[in-house]
Amino acid sequence: MNTLNRRAVLRLAGLSALGAAVAACAPDAAGGGAPKGDAAAKAFGFTSWSLNEEAQKGAVQAVLDAYAARAKVTINPASFPYNEYLNQVTLKLRGGQLTGAVQLDISWLAALAAMGRLKDLGAQAAGGGYTDVALGSGQFGGKQLGLPWTTGSIGLVANTELLKKAGVDGMPATVEEFEAALRKVAKLGGGITPYAAATKAAQLKDILPWMRTFGSPLLEGDTITVGDDASVAAVEWYKKLYDDKLIAPDVDRFDARALFAQGKAAFYDDAIITRGVVASQSPDKSLTEKMAPLARPVLKAGDTPQALLWGHVIVVVDGEGSDAAADFAAYATSDTATVASFFEKVKLPPTTTAGLADPKVSGDTFTADWTEKITKTATANPFWRYAGYAQIEAAIAEQVQAVLVGRSPAKEALAKAAETARPLQK
Amino acid sequence: MNGRRLTDGQFAWLLMVPGVALFLAIIAYPLVSALVTGFFEQSLVRPGRSFVGLANFADLLGGDFWPVLSNTLVFTLGATIAPFVIGYALALALDAGLPGWLRGVFLFPWVIPGVVVSFLWLWIFNANYGVLNGLLGTQVSWLGDPVTAMVAVIVTKTWASFPWMMVMLLAGLQTMPKELHEAAAVDGAGAVRRFRSVTVPHMRHIAGIAFLLEFIWNFQHFDTIYVLTGGGPAGATKTFAVAVYDTAFKGFDLGHATALGGLWMLLLLVLMVFYLRKENT
Repeated sequence: MNTLNRRAVLRLAGLSALGAAVAACAPDAAGGGAPKGDAAAKAFGFTSWSLNEEAQKGAVQAVLDAYAARAKVTINPASFPYNEYLNQVTLKLRGGQLTGAVQLDISWLAALAAMGRLKDLGAQAAGGGYTDVALGSGQFGGKQLGLPWTTGSIGLVANTELLKKAGVDGMPATVEEFEAALRKVAKLGGGITPYAAATKAAQLKDILPWMRTFGSPLLEGDTITVGDDASVAAVEWYKKLYDDKLIAPDVDRFDARALFAQGKAAFYDDAIITRGVVASQSPDKSLTEKMAPLARPVLKAGDTPQALLWGHVIVVVDGEGSDAAADFAAYATSDTATVASFFEKVKLPPTTTAGLADPKVSGDTFTADWTEKITKTATANPFWRYAGYAQIEAAIAEQVQAVLVGRSPAKEALAKAAETARPLQK
Repeated sequence: MNGRRLTDGQFAWLLMVPGVALFLAIIAYPLVSALVTGFFEQSLVRPGRSFVGLANFADLLGGDFWPVLSNTLVFTLGATIAPFVIGYALALALDAGLPGWLRGVFLFPWVIPGVVVSFLWLWIFNANYGVLNGLLGTQVSWLGDPVTAMVAVIVTKTWASFPWMMVMLLAGLQTMPKELHEAAAVDGAGAVRRFRSVTVPHMRHIAGIAFLLEFIWNFQHFDTIYVLTGGGPAGATKTFAVAVYDTAFKGFDLGHATALGGLWMLLLLVLMVFYLRKENT
């Protein structure tokens, strides 16, 4: 029988340790490893949720391909679904596994910026010709951490054909008129949801503009006002719509888009991207012509309609390939031909003065209408200033959902939401 | 070879070194690190942490822990008892002579990945365009109501796990000497009496082990619940697995998440003791 002596065993152990060390140092699939600056990098990553969405991935991929061919670089794409995106990107960034350019919702910038790993893109922003509002959406802590890719708003969209069938004349301007319109649509039957409002926790943040409509500022200084009489009234009204089946249970943004695209919803909330998404999902090819943006109804005539500022930025993670990625970010967001072509495909408005002036953009009546009715009065969510903004919204959403399903009265639920949210204001 | 020879004992210890090293690196270290983190206020997105003693545990025990424990127990009991009963019934039917190819058919749900199963049922249960409402002609919000949402996740998990229970119990049934049944039949015992007096005592051990294992797995289960309801509506299906995930990776609050994980682990250790004692008997 063969026996091993001590030397052979030590040799074996040494080889095993070497193997383990090599395995531990191996780069991950996304090209991670120790970050290092490299101005001449020929490969970098691009992480994006749009690459995961059927309606947009073709247009985004075209931008990547065009830049890769022009700059002779390789772009390694990665994507996660929107609802999981912030979570995944945060984990990867914390683990040092996220490099290159990263698409972000403007609301997520504070959370990622708090980790201190984003590159200052001030130099790229200076020469990009971006509008001031757009540039502001990519700034945090006095630095330009993101280049604006699109800036718009989230507002209400209506199916004018359904409204006409229901006998609704003109767009409702007040909450009272809106509710009356919903009741008329409900009478159509046929499984139509009058207002495909968000009722799943993932998108229940859509109730925040309604709380503002009812008069709650949400945040005054650093005091959360969720739970005040106005926000309670808004949630009670939402609950009334829910109980009267004017809004449907179990709906998030994706369900709402599907319902609207099938002609099964008269109103829903979405960003200006709605037209491209609905066009790609609807069997009715003329549905986009029947879509109309409307200013969110106000509590009483003369109030300012509420809408949420919305947009995407591209940030760059400091380190490996960051210079090349920053150049790509500038190209994707400010090259006029690129942004105009991108607009043509997905209807996301550009963020540069030249891009907005391009005939493909300026000649688009839906975009002009949207800008006039919704974006014009859109404001940022006041919670975005906190790194824990997503958790604050989640705390509110969970309590609003508790009201909808009858687990808590609105006053008690919103008080609890505010109590949960307070420690997250940092 | 002129080196000193190793004794069998020394060689055995050396063989264990890679395994022990791996255990220390990927289980012991993260576990201890996580347990320690429970005593700190630590964020996933902010650098640094501060010692808070038992404050995280006190917070949890003063609020979120109990509804989560209740949801976990309801889910675990439902998702263990239902597949156990269905699996037992099918195992008995197969053992009694149901065509063998049906065993393959019944195993089908088990081979589908859990997330895929969950998405299938998500579509079935959807309130607005789901198959179930289509078949029933109703518009019930199966996943939007606290009670039906819990039933829905239990049904989904049952569909995915009854085949495993069936296979385990069928294996047990097939080790049972047929003579016992024949003797009981000769003595005049009917089918029910034979099941109660012959099958059940023979199956007690394996059924107990299968039940306990399924209970432990369900106590830790994540994917079905997360895909179907995300712990909602209003936290009605939020079990330990979902709560820890949400707290850590959506709330970015590592201190509370690991404290909750520590409490969860303690409960699992109790179940493990039961399991090990059962195994030893």
